[in-house]
Amino acid sequence: MRTGIFMAAVLASMLLVSAAHAASDPDSAKLSKSTSDHTKFKALQQEFNSGPEVTKACLSCHTEASKQLHKTEHWKWEYRSPEGQLLGKKNVINNFCTSIRTNEAACNICHIGYGWKDDTFDFTSEVNVDCLVCHDTTGNYKKPAGLAGNVVTKAMEFPPGSGNIIKPIDLKKIAQAVGKTSRDTCGACHFYGGGGDGVKHGDMDSSLASPDQALDVHMDALGLNFACATCHMTEGHQVPGSRYAPTAQDKGDAHVRGKEYTSNPTTCQACHGQAPHKKIAKLNDHTDKVACQACHIPKFARGGVATKMSWDWSTGGKMGPDGKPLIKKDAKGHVIYTAAKGDFILGENVVPDYQWFNGKVGYTLFSDKVEKSDQPTRINHFEGSAGDGKSLIWPVKIMRGKQAFDPVNKRLAVVHTAGNDDTGYWTNFNWEKAVAVGMASIGAPFSGKVDFVTTESTWPITHMVAPAKDALRCHDCHASNGRLEKVPGIYIPGRASDHAGWLDTAGWALAALTLLGVLGHGLGRVIVSKRNK
Amino acid sequence: MTKKLSSLNVLSLCLLACSLVASAAHAADGDWKRGRVYYQKVCTECHTAKAGGPIAPNTRTMADWTKYLNTDKHAKGKEPLKMYVSREYRANIKATNKAAEKYADVPDEQLFNDVKTFMLKGAKDGDSPASCL
Repeated sequence: MRTGIFMAAVLASMLLVSAAHAASDPDSAKLSKSTSDHTKFKALQQEFNSGPEVTKACLSCHTEASKQLHKTEHWKWEYRSPEGQLLGKKNVINNFCTSIRTNEAACNICHIGYGWKDDTFDFTSEVNVDCLVCHDTTGNYKKPAGLAGNVVTKAMEFPPGSGNIIKPIDLKKIAQAVGKTSRDTCGACHFYGGGGDGVKHGDMDSSLASPDQALDVHMDALGLNFACATCHMTEGHQVPGSRYAPTAQDKGDAHVRGKEYTSNPTTCQACHGQAPHKKIAKLNDHTDKVACQACHIPKFARGGVATKMSWDWSTGGKMGPDGKPLIKKDAKGHVIYTAAKGDFILGENVVPDYQWFNGKVGYTLFSDKVEKSDQPTRINHFEGSAGDGKSLIWPVKIMRGKQAFDPVNKRLAVVHTAGNDDTGYWTNFNWEKAVAVGMASIGAPFSGKVDFVTTESTWPITHMVAPAKDALRCHDCHASNGRLEKVPGIYIPGRASDHAGWLDTAGWALAALTLLGVLGHGLGRVIVSKRNK
Repeated sequence: MTKKLSSLNVLSLCLLACSLVASAAHAADGDWKRGRVYYQKVCTECHTAKAGGPIAPNTRTMADWTKYLNTDKHAKGKEPLKMYVSREYRANIKATNKAAEKYADVPDEQLFNDVKTFMLKGAKDGDSPASCL
């Protein structure tokens, strides 16, 4: 009996503690921002064995969602530029992992769908849309590489025979906790573009999941705490701000409720307007020539994650003394060579390049001829000039590389890299086999020979906006060998290329004459005053 | 020696078990994002500056972290770990630490649970191993 009383007392204490905890919880008194508690929806109160099963449940309420998604670049991976080029991940080639073609099962884990492993993927299927990859709030949603964007709901060994066991995820729990997109959900793909954390963009990596103010003044987790969608304001699942349709110069106004938007919601002007500098108005005189990002993102890759600045595929395939594929790391532990991918040069706290940009980007595509004598091949290039009235000076990351091409047919190579088969380069390190499969996948001829060309690609720098105190100062550009030294077509006082010796001499002569005049006038006053005494 | 359990005992045991299960479930459902921020901006910053470097969640297993957190000992047992998420501690450092300032009024247990959720989730064998420092 005494034991029972003791246990009852323990229980009562625990209940009291719980009650006290709930009562002292200020969040429990807060008004929920959502009007729905997804744990209460019957459609989500079931065990799910696949992603499409979850989507089917989502669609039972959100009836139009998949139809909206089907119209996005996130789904199509295809975009027709105003200049007529067919772009999007499905069609472009880059100088990172080069192309998704024949590598879909690995690359397409970042497609917002389930099961895109080859050309048979059904782009009209509504249940193939992956809702959770964008709306997960648990941080536990995973799409392992090699499974074509499918999820794992039962522990499985992958690749088969590897001994690597992939843990299953709890789709029911994840589905019941869905919410708005976040830096974590967008970042699950966009931070890892190019094959790893921070590899591709330079201004987007995992450090932005929970950044401080110095790294990004808008996304500061303890400050403004912007989500990606705060700027990439989405309607009907259409996300503005794609790099395939960039806005280089936005002459629209700051968005005001009740007024029709005249600016792209992702641009600085959409919030800050055309004259953002209130304290030093002179700075506003720069905004017709210089993009905001040029001054306000002084360096990229500032969050402690290195970005790739160069990738040389031509050195791939080396084996170590143990006969296994060679891997090299630098002093900081960054991988700088792998047999599968060749040599890398990494960068942190990188000063951008600067160039005129009018919003048009030209691409070298699969079908374009490439001349080894005309190096480097520009995988893409920003168009623009000082005099076209549409361009601003933009900060960019220039990615340099050396990648496979067919020297006879003079085309950049599509390489079958990923996959546990005899032709994948990452498995057999045989260029000829890997390129033959890649070129066949796009119906392009292949001579059987593989050579390498140097390439460059250009990436706009527009994230990692620093606090105003860390923005560039006048002398960063208005000086010899300043940041804009090589930008053509514009007069920038102070830089070496705009230096005119005769003008300096004339200026100093005028200053000296002025000083002499002032001194002479003063002397005259002194003499006259003494005479009059 | 065998002792018969009274009905009160049985009832209490059942309720106690239910309560413990509920507590465990609650412990796994903290705000991992807030826990992440506190871990990064308070724990990691201090460890980096004064304790020989940061400790990433994915350097330990969930069992390791659970044992460590339940033991509630910090600096080789010199002080209780929970002191570092207490409102008193946050009040002391909030002038120089934005996380302590922002979360100044969050109840101790709640914030501790947030940090715990992040650490278990980010453990080597957790749902989402975290190397973030």
